[in-house]
Order: sequence, then structure tokens, then C-alpha cells
Amino acid sequence: MTANPGAEVTCPSCGAPTAVSDSFCEACGTELAPPMVSTAPPGYRAECPVCSVDPEAPPSAITAEGYCESCGRKVPSGRDHSELDLGLLAGVTDRGLRHTRNEDAMALATADAPGGPVAIAVVCDGVSTSPRPDDASLAAAQASVRALLTSARRGDDPAEASLAAVQVARQALIGIGSPGEAPSATYISAVVGSDAVTVCWLGDSRAYWLSTGPDTARLSTDDSLAEEMVARGAMSEAEALASPQAHVITRWLGADLADPEPHVVRFEPPGPGVVLVCSDGLWNYQPGAPGLAQLVLPAALTDPLGAAAELVKFALGAGGMDNITVVLAPFPLAPFPEEPPHPKTVPVQRQETLPRRTPP
Amino acid sequence: MTESGFTVDVDQNEYLPEGGREVSAIVTVASAADAAGLASPGPAGAEPDGSAEIIIIDCSGSMEYPRTKIAAARAATAAAVDVVRDGVLFSVIAGTNLAFSVFPADGSMARADASSRAAAKQAVAGLRAGGGTAIGQWLDLARQTFARYPARLRHAILLTDGKNQHESSEQLAATVSQCEGFFSCDCRGIGTDWEVKELRTISTALLGSVDIVPDPSGLAADFEAMMANAMGKQVADVVLQVWTPQHATVKFVKQVAPTVDDLTDRRTPSGPQAGDYPTGAWGPGESRDYHVGVEVTPAGLGDVMLAARVKLLAKSASGTDVLGQGLVRATWTDDEALSTKINPGVAHYTGQAELAAAIQEGLEARKAGDEETATAKLGRAVALAHQSGNEDTAKLLAKVVDVVDVETGRVRLKKQVEDADEMALDTRSTKTVRARK
Repeated sequence: MTANPGAEVTCPSCGAPTAVSDSFCEACGTELAPPMVSTAPPGYRAECPVCSVDPEAPPSAITAEGYCESCGRKVPSGRDHSELDLGLLAGVTDRGLRHTRNEDAMALATADAPGGPVAIAVVCDGVSTSPRPDDASLAAAQASVRALLTSARRGDDPAEASLAAVQVARQALIGIGSPGEAPSATYISAVVGSDAVTVCWLGDSRAYWLSTGPDTARLSTDDSLAEEMVARGAMSEAEALASPQAHVITRWLGADLADPEPHVVRFEPPGPGVVLVCSDGLWNYQPGAPGLAQLVLPAALTDPLGAAAELVKFALGAGGMDNITVVLAPFPLAPFPEEPPHPKTVPVQRQETLPRRTPP
Repeated sequence: MTESGFTVDVDQNEYLPEGGREVSAIVTVASAADAAGLASPGPAGAEPDGSAEIIIIDCSGSMEYPRTKIAAARAATAAAVDVVRDGVLFSVIAGTNLAFSVFPADGSMARADASSRAAAKQAVAGLRAGGGTAIGQWLDLARQTFARYPARLRHAILLTDGKNQHESSEQLAATVSQCEGFFSCDCRGIGTDWEVKELRTISTALLGSVDIVPDPSGLAADFEAMMANAMGKQVADVVLQVWTPQHATVKFVKQVAPTVDDLTDRRTPSGPQAGDYPTGAWGPGESRDYHVGVEVTPAGLGDVMLAARVKLLAKSASGTDVLGQGLVRATWTDDEALSTKINPGVAHYTGQAELAAAIQEGLEARKAGDEETATAKLGRAVALAHQSGNEDTAKLLAKVVDVVDVETGRVRLKKQVEDADEMALDTRSTKTVRARK
């Protein structure tokens, strides 16, 4: 515990001194170290990538479902591919090659908490068969990360804060549905502190601890039929992954599951490494922790954004059958920057970023 | 069910290979089973009910041979009149080479109640046969009679036993096109001296059914059922509005269940990239499938395109209501496992449409004495009916051909075929079975 934690921070906007536990500057009201969410960036306006560059074509409207009213093309949304970089951790989410929209959402935050810097990541994967899965995952991730950020700044116990945040996320997700609808999503949060990682989840989005040593491990267990089969010894992991039930989840976030009972795990890393939080769009192609470690280390220790982008590229190259979300937080956390990091979102049009698949 | 009481579902394989242009989808439109849940667009207006019904009875001289025909027509009309709901406007027209208002005799329409129904049945009991057949004249009098009253739903039943002989086919076609979109008409042929093609042309244009009633004794039940069905209709003038991207073409729009009905040529433009296709009136608990084919300009691998948006609209004097919509997509992929997968619904209905065409072409060839083509076409029909589980059609086919091998469709034409069996096969050739989902 620092003796006088408040004196070291100033508001990046007006320079007034602020306490580390403050969410907003008392002087000018600027939000301090705001969380970042993988939504469309402010001012983003969807436009047809084809008709907008044709000087002959009249300006065309975009339908509610996201298609160009003139040529019919699906217009890239701000969520198709976005990259978030908060310095202490970074994430990339991508629509993949088979789905028409990105139903994954991620939300990241950092805090200069009483016990030192904290990095927070939340990843939700909307359940495709439920209504508005893209809105559901986003609402849940956004609500949860704010709750976790507030708790971290207060110095609350991360395990208790994580469980409380699940309830906040669930209410936010239920709130977007109309009566009779039950939007649903998977949920996973990771709170990385100076001595431990707290992971809390429902469903089959995963967290891993990746290092060069034997401590490399998966931190979460899936709430899925496949995992249950493996746990009971009825199938091998490879068989379970190949089975049609592999992705049937047994717990999730949604109005149709009244008391979801999230799991919480606390992990103390024995040395340096990286915390990976991801959706099944990544781990489908590399479920094993040692394999994932090989893919991202050592790059992820110093360049989490670049390493996350590499992992997304790996999943796209392997088929990109699902939406892909990857968040990486190197451990131990870097010292909290003197000025809160300037948040960066990178909406990129797919055409430029996606490798074209070569026929097998 | 949605608020409108209608649902629109799209079943398709949206994946196309690189450069692929043909997009095909089955669009299922269903109405709520519960009548109260169906939207009746527009204000009720001055009419307490808004429905109008006309029964058109062939009274040409041939209806006397055998006598049972005119007697059955009288009884069937009486049975249908009994089913007309209180408050509905109705009238009865008799047709020969001219057309006469039988009830009310002054060419008006009566509002149904116990006394008007009794009066109508009395007037119908006095019907005598004599004279020729000019179906266009009959339809024209029906059109003029309907036109005197505002109504939301206009429906007619037409019964004939013969060919249209006392006017030209051009005259008939001109009258039919005047009636198109104004009222719907179910057609029935009694006996075997009428022409299937002629009645089918009328019933198709007027969005009704066509069938043979070989035995006069079956007529009353059929009329009653038709009238009951008409009384169940609640939403008039429902159209499918199909939007397509620029440079795309609608190749076809067909109703494929419960019967095959090609709507492709019945498009009315309704915007720069949209056209309307008529589906007629809808009652509660109906479900119809439509096969929509669109040709699009190929986009790049990984691109997604809206190939068509199918909106279900109810048009009325007070405006247009959107009852529902479905999206037909195209996604280009180099994954052959995806792009070569044939959608079972599309395959099934492509087969059912081919089945209907094979029967009609086979019977045509048989009539023209071209036994080779008739054998090949009807054989193909036997195989298709068998593969798709269309047992009703298979049974009708078995009355016209001897089946040697049902799998390959090897058949022999029967030497002796009852006219009624051949006409039943022809009229019912368009009946399909639903795709298994």
C-alpha cells in the first residue's frame, strides 16, 4: 500500500491533481483512463466500400441489416475488425472468414489502483442462435469492464469484484432483449494485478497463462458438453473437439439461465509470461497452452498488440470459421504510465487486412 | 408470429463459388393460426364485413346431358349459399352464350342473411339449361356486378362443363386480364368435355384453384368447401415485393407449395430495384412456399451480398402495410464443401416444378399422338413423384401409365385411359408436397 497514492497523478486534460481511485477528474470532469470497448469508434459511419468510391454511383443508403441499398454488398461495420491498445494490455477482434458479422466483443481497462497497476479484460462471444448476439456480447462486456474498473480503483477483492461484475453484465445483457427474447453470450473476465491473475467465466471463452516454462497452462475450463466428455474420460480432447457437440455450452450469460454460477480462479504466476484471454475462434485452431505459447512468445512480452494481431492472423489462416478475439496482457505488468494511456482503436476495412485464403 | 400475424422464413445455401452468379432460395410465408392475430390492414370502411362473393353457374344446353349435371349445379350452389357468412354481399350468375343475373335478378348484390339466402336458393332452384358457352361474358358480368360495391375481398366460384365456344379465345383473354387483380376466382370443371388448359389459364390469372369434379354427386361438398375457404380469407391483396441489387436480375419467382404457380411474368415494378408479385388473399393458418431465383454480379471471395430482400406487403385503399420480410444472401467462398452443398428445399421444389411440367408436357404429347415423348415425360414424372414422396400424384399417374420400374421411371402408356383420370392428373399436376425440413 502506498502512503499517499493520490499525489502522483494529474488529470491529462487540465493538469489538476487527482486520486488514483478517482474515475473522473474532480476539476474538469474528464474520465481518467477510460475503458475501451470493441465497438465502432466515435463518428464511424458505415458506407459501401464499392459504391462510395465510384464517382458515377449515387450516394447509397445502408439498410438496418448493414447492406448497401444499391449494390447489396455487406458493408463492413466498425466491429468487423478492431484493435485496442492500452499499453498494459492489448486486444484484437475480427469477424473471421465465415460469419457475416462479429458477435464477439471485448472490453479493456487499466487502473492505477492502491495496490499497483491493474489490467482488466472482458471477452464475450454472443450465442449465434439467440437474438441480437452482437449487441448482447457488447452490452455485457461494456457493463462488466466498468464495474471491474470501479472495483479495482477502490481496491476491492478481485474475486468478489469479478463475481459482482458477472451480475452487472447479465443485467445489461438482459436489458437489450425485448420480452420473450433471451439474448445470450459467453463471458470471461481477467483481472491482472501485481501478484495474481483472477479469472471468472461462464461458457467456453478461455484464459491461458503462457510462459516458456512448465507453468504454461490453461486457466479456465469450458462449460461445454465437449469438456464434460473429456472430464469424464468418455472422449479424448481431439475427439471431443471434432464432435458436433463440441460447442454446445452448458452455462452462459442470459435471461434464460437464472442462476449461472460463474467459476472464479486465482492464479499466481511464478515468473514472467503473458495472460491470454480469447474466444473459441482462436482456440479451435490451437487449444493447447504450449502450442499457443510457441506462437506468441517472446513477442507478446514486449508487443502485446502485435502479438494479438499475429494470433488473429493465425486463426484466419487456419480457416477463420468463427469470430476471433484475442487479448494479451504481459506479466508482470509494466509500471502504470505517468499519463493515462491514450486509447487507440483501429477500425480497418477487411479488404486491406485479411489474407485471401489460398485454395487447398 | 410477429405482430402482423405473418412470418417470412428464408431457406437457402448462401455460399457461391468464386464467380458464381445464381442465387436460389425457398421463402416460406405463413399466417397465424389464430384469426384474431391476423392484421386486417386499413379501416373497415362502410362495409360491415368487406367481403363479396359471386357464384357463376354454367347453364349451357349440355348441362342437361346428363340431367344430373344441372341438378347437381343447383344443389351445389344452394350448399355454397348456405355457407355465405351473414353480412357478406353475394349474388348468383347464370352463364350461357350470354350471362344473366339469377339472384338478385336486377344485377345487384344482396347482403347475406336468412331471408336473402332462402330467396337465392329459390331462384337457383328454377335454373334451366339451354344455350351456348361464352365464359368471358360470365366473368364480365361478375366484374360489373362486383364493381358496384366497395369491398375488401372479392371472390367468385365458376362452374362449367364445356369449352369456351361462343366467343374467341382473344375475347376471353381480354376479359380475364380486366378481371385480374380485381377479384379472385376458383374454377371447377364438371364432366369431361371442358378444357383443363382453358380453366387453368383463368384460375391462374385470377389467383384461384382449378379442379375436376368428375361425378356430379361430389359437387355440393366441393362448393361448400370452396366457399368456406373463401369466407376464411382475411387479408386481401398480399404481394411479395422483391428487391434486388443493381445489375441483378430476378430469374423467377414461383409459388411451389401447396401448388406450383409461376409468378415470374406477373411482376409489377414498384421501385428502381423492386417488383411486386401477387399472392392474393390470405386466411389464418396458411403456409405457402415460394422459390426465388436471382442472378447477381459476382463479388470477391469472402464478400457477402444481399441478393434479394423479400417483403410481404398488404395493399389496401388506405396504404401499404409491411407484414414481414426475409433476406436472401450470397457469400463467395473457395470452400467447395460449402459452395457445392445443394439446399434440400431448393432441390425438392425444383423437382416438384419439373414434375408438374413433365406431366403437362407428357399429356400434351399423348394427345398429339407423340407416344415416344409422352412415355419419356410421364416416365420422368413417375420417377420424380416417387423420389419426392408425392403419393397423390403417383396414384394419378398410375391410372394413365403402367409402371415398369418406379426408380428409373420406365413406363408404358395405358391403352385405355378414362378421360376423367387424364383430366384429374392434368389439373392436379401442380399439387406439390412440402419439403421436409
